[in-house]
Amino acid sequence: MIPPAATGTTIDHQTFTITFERTFVAPPEDVFDAWTQPAHLTRWWDPTGTPLASCRVDLRPGGAFEFVNQAHSPPFAGTYRVIERPARLEFDALGAAGTVSLTARDGATHMRVTIRCASAEHLAQFLQHGVDVGTAKTLDNLVAHLRAARAA
Amino acid sequence: MQAATLDRTFAALADPTRRAILARLASGPATVTELGQPFGLRQPTISKHLRILEEAGLIRQGKDAQRRPRELVVGGSLQDIDAWLRPFREQWERRFDNLEGHLATMTKRTTKKERP
Repeated sequence: MIPPAATGTTIDHQTFTITFERTFVAPPEDVFDAWTQPAHLTRWWDPTGTPLASCRVDLRPGGAFEFVNQAHSPPFAGTYRVIERPARLEFDALGAAGTVSLTARDGATHMRVTIRCASAEHLAQFLQHGVDVGTAKTLDNLVAHLRAARAA
Repeated sequence: MQAATLDRTFAALADPTRRAILARLASGPATVTELGQPFGLRQPTISKHLRILEEAGLIRQGKDAQRRPRELVVGGSLQDIDAWLRPFREQWERRFDNLEGHLATMTKRTTKKERP
């Protein structure tokens, strides 16, 4: 297990689960909508900060979703399992089970994202998804984007 | 890091018995007999699991030539996996940095429009 450093990421090699934790100064409803509405998803999903080329969301249990970036890498695609605005979202994607838990805390929202893979093989597959695309941009560019997003 | 090494490490970790063996060794070295007992496994079976873990660089034979205990390799393959995971982790961290920036703009709009 990697210690939960400043990034708030832990990886459990025993259960093939990756957990991300973040706190946002925003209500849970906004965070939930950002995760589930194409107009919002397209603005933040791609790690490079580039808007998505297409974003299809059928927001109901069993409904499909597909996020395609500008580089047209293999899409992030899957099926929704549980939709409970604003507290919980569960989905299957790329052979992994994802959960997003949102908890209101002192006017902010604590977000816990887990990605659980059925096997080491699945974990390896899932982890490889889009990594090369994501690392193409430099950190400087990202910081510039975040400043722009905050100023907007 | 060699892709073949990584595959071997993941394959070694893919088995629940081997993960349990690793968990047991995390609390200190143990002999083949000690490792086999909790699973009720016969010696050839447990030896096969240990060989796979050894080949993946996760465990090794300790110094005691008589008892030949196995022990965890500190650093080694597990650290390799962590190094390999870093780009993936950074990608998701960047994604959530973006989300944070986007949420700031949503909150502003909400306040402006007095959305319920």
